[in-house]
Amino acid sequence: MKYSLFTGCFIPARYPGFEAATREVLRLLDVELADLDFSCCPPTTNVKLVNYDTWLALAARNLCLSEEQGLNILSICNGCTATLTEANKKLKEKPGQRRKVNHLLKDFGHRFEGTIQVHHLGPLLNRTIGLEAIRERVVRPLKGLRIAAHYGCHYFRPPRVMFPHSLTASASYVPVGVDNIVSALGGDPIQYSRKFLCCGSVLGANIGGDDTYGVVWEKLQHMADREAEAIVVPCPSCFNQFEMGQVMAKRRKKIKFNLPVFYITELVALAFGLDPERFGLTEHTIKTKNFLDKIA
Amino acid sequence: MREIWKHIEPEHLFFCYECSRCTGSCPAAMVLDTPGPRRILVSCLYSGPNAVTGDESLWYCTTCHVCEDRCPQELHIVELLTALMNVAAARGNIPDKVRAVVDKIARTGRSVVTYRVDEERIRFGLSPLSQINVEEVEALAARTGLFEKVKSRP
Repeated sequence: MKYSLFTGCFIPARYPGFEAATREVLRLLDVELADLDFSCCPPTTNVKLVNYDTWLALAARNLCLSEEQGLNILSICNGCTATLTEANKKLKEKPGQRRKVNHLLKDFGHRFEGTIQVHHLGPLLNRTIGLEAIRERVVRPLKGLRIAAHYGCHYFRPPRVMFPHSLTASASYVPVGVDNIVSALGGDPIQYSRKFLCCGSVLGANIGGDDTYGVVWEKLQHMADREAEAIVVPCPSCFNQFEMGQVMAKRRKKIKFNLPVFYITELVALAFGLDPERFGLTEHTIKTKNFLDKIA
Repeated sequence: MREIWKHIEPEHLFFCYECSRCTGSCPAAMVLDTPGPRRILVSCLYSGPNAVTGDESLWYCTTCHVCEDRCPQELHIVELLTALMNVAAARGNIPDKVRAVVDKIARTGRSVVTYRVDEERIRFGLSPLSQINVEEVEALAARTGLFEKVKSRP
């Protein structure tokens, strides 16, 4: 199994620990990774809203880089997965848009052929690698700790693009992948109200202001009501929003949630018995010490 | 205005029976002062897209697609909003923060640029950041007309 690793912008620059944990976990699970010189995906949350054509051209360029190596893309960020999956689908299905993009890319020596697929880490761990392979590697189980999974919108929406083969009768989809991974690691994946609500990080990035934290506060409150002991996310933007949301809740509303937030592969690395300090798990803004002590 | 109908069939809008499930589900409408997707859809339908492209709250969208997911008529609401925002941007209605980050992506190939990033990466045993072909990214952005929209020189 070999993929080209699409790290995106957020993880390699702001959270290198996530990248290190991901690489180590995937090495242990026999996934080979290639590093290509990808640019920003670019996000559906800004470039696509300002200029659709630029969004499609830059995404196509990234897809071409991987096509030229004959590798499927493995993306470790929700935003990048959404952009690349949607652009790949559009270019495969709409000959007009594809012709236009290929005309632009011709001068740079690229041509979109539509030969590859884009995968996100969540479905890869669940389906391709399989939960059994993960369960076998666990040496430090999460001891039934109550863990609230937040998927992030672009993990599964719009379902007709992200999970076209798993749609319900009403053309919707409810993801379970991250919860499955948590239980494979020995944790207790809990249900809570508004589980599939957005984290609201885009409002903060595009508009700004304290009001935009209202969305994440609502989620945090529901998680706390169900006595969650930690949060797990498969997306760096959501991670940032859950940490900053707690900092702002303390500052503006005098509420202390103290819910440590983990990126999905950090939790996997922990359960695989790797040293948490090596991946910066002890450097999170929301202190993880209590959680780490519980599973030690 | 053709720009908008490139992304969505105008006839599709007539499927909307104004149930307001989209606005009821919208995380932005939950916390910010915005009439929500239903009002935008309905004014677009009755008064035409020009009625909404000047509205600042058009940008209060997280692109979470929950409106679309819950729409009983399966309208592609986010595609409509995307098209409207594309036109709004061409007319100068674009939040400063969006303008700045889009410009940064087109010029550096990255949306996040941090200080001493490679030192930090080495500490975690990672190789330095990849070398992006910035000229290529910038040229593609320029040819697709991005810089005219954000009013900056390539």
